[in-house]
Amino acid sequence: MFNRLYRNRLNSLIGKVVFAGLLTTTLLASPQLSAKGVYQSGPDFFAEVFAPQQPEAGVLWLNSSIRQQAEKILGRKVLGLRVRYQYSAGKTAWILNEIGKEMPITIGVVIDQSKIASVKILAYRESRGGEVRYPAYMAQYQGASLTDRYKLDQSIDGITGATLSVWAVNKVAALALYYHSQVITQPESTE
Amino acid sequence: MKSHNSSKTNIIWHRRLGLSVFLVLIFLAISGIALNHSPALKLNKTDLSNSWLLSWYGLEKPAINGFKLQDKWLYHNGNNLLFIDNQAVAPCAAPLRSGAKNSQSIFALCADTLVILTEKGELLESFSQLDGLPANVEAVAAVDDGLYLLTDSAVLAFDPNSLALTAIAKTPADLSQSLNLMVPVPESLKQQLEDAGPSISLETLILDLHSGRFFGQYGVLFMDIIGLLVCILSITGLWAWLNRLRQIKQ
Repeated sequence: MFNRLYRNRLNSLIGKVVFAGLLTTTLLASPQLSAKGVYQSGPDFFAEVFAPQQPEAGVLWLNSSIRQQAEKILGRKVLGLRVRYQYSAGKTAWILNEIGKEMPITIGVVIDQSKIASVKILAYRESRGGEVRYPAYMAQYQGASLTDRYKLDQSIDGITGATLSVWAVNKVAALALYYHSQVITQPESTE
Repeated sequence: MKSHNSSKTNIIWHRRLGLSVFLVLIFLAISGIALNHSPALKLNKTDLSNSWLLSWYGLEKPAINGFKLQDKWLYHNGNNLLFIDNQAVAPCAAPLRSGAKNSQSIFALCADTLVILTEKGELLESFSQLDGLPANVEAVAAVDDGLYLLTDSAVLAFDPNSLALTAIAKTPADLSQSLNLMVPVPESLKQQLEDAGPSISLETLILDLHSGRFFGQYGVLFMDIIGLLVCILSITGLWAWLNRLRQIKQ
């Protein structure tokens, strides 16, 4: 009698423990939402931001002074001798890459009258931190311009868990404003 | 009496479980802390290229092949870098699929990106699928001063200044003679790449050990079981504590 009661109790306990274990394992093992993806191609981005106008293609050659300043803004070496952009009536659009944590984030930035008109993530390759692409976050950049110290003049609220991606977007936004200023002051050079 | 026996059994099992998992738990705690501070500990920057480890991960030192472009060798180190004659010139995702040179520039087709370099090997820019490079480009060919991108069924004339692509009335077979063939690079260049090739970061290794993936499916299953045992351990511990409280009250 005693043994049966004891066994029943033990079986019940084991049943509960196994259920709790399975529940924990299931919760821990649930796949994390992936943030990876290419959301828009470069040509589509340019077509969208300049519609219904047809933008013209420009090339900014990175001479030593531009490169030096660009490297200060990014805090790393800048690769490539030239940067392409599209423009129309004082408005320029740039597609730039910057590493978030480990992978490059492709970011489209539109500058109008030396202020940011819009920022958009075109491709996000990290597995986490993709919240930066949400329109609510991107809207913070609208109207930002460059200070004398080549920083954005608006404070941008961070996102928990996406700090590095936020920094990357901030740097690219500042860099696009700087490139824009160079294009406006020095007439666009073409080959 | 019944309660006392049950409590005793519970404590025995608690001890057994604790003894079974404590080493793994200590490892999981230390590796978890290390992973949490990976950037500070530079775990992701520490590359391991031990041959046993590489073979465990199914990686092999790549055969270094490249393209002889007139007097220059264009090749890839198997580790995301493009080289011209011993100089790392640009990032280049593996595999390096094609290479060509005209009078002004050097072109390298790296996975899905066309890398454009000056004649001296300075990176001009990278033209990727996101910028409008067709997805099915298989090779790049320079004929006289014209530059062509070859897909499986079509040939596109490519203007490296404007990045414009124009379909032309030729087939890939027409230009097959103009393609540079991939050949093994000379030993002298290969020697310089001894340190290159695949590697595993210390962060990856610790993460794979932490999750059990290092030992394949059975490793993951093992870690799952450890997870379950830890849950049971917590419950038996809690139960033992409650029993003791009850006994004290009685």
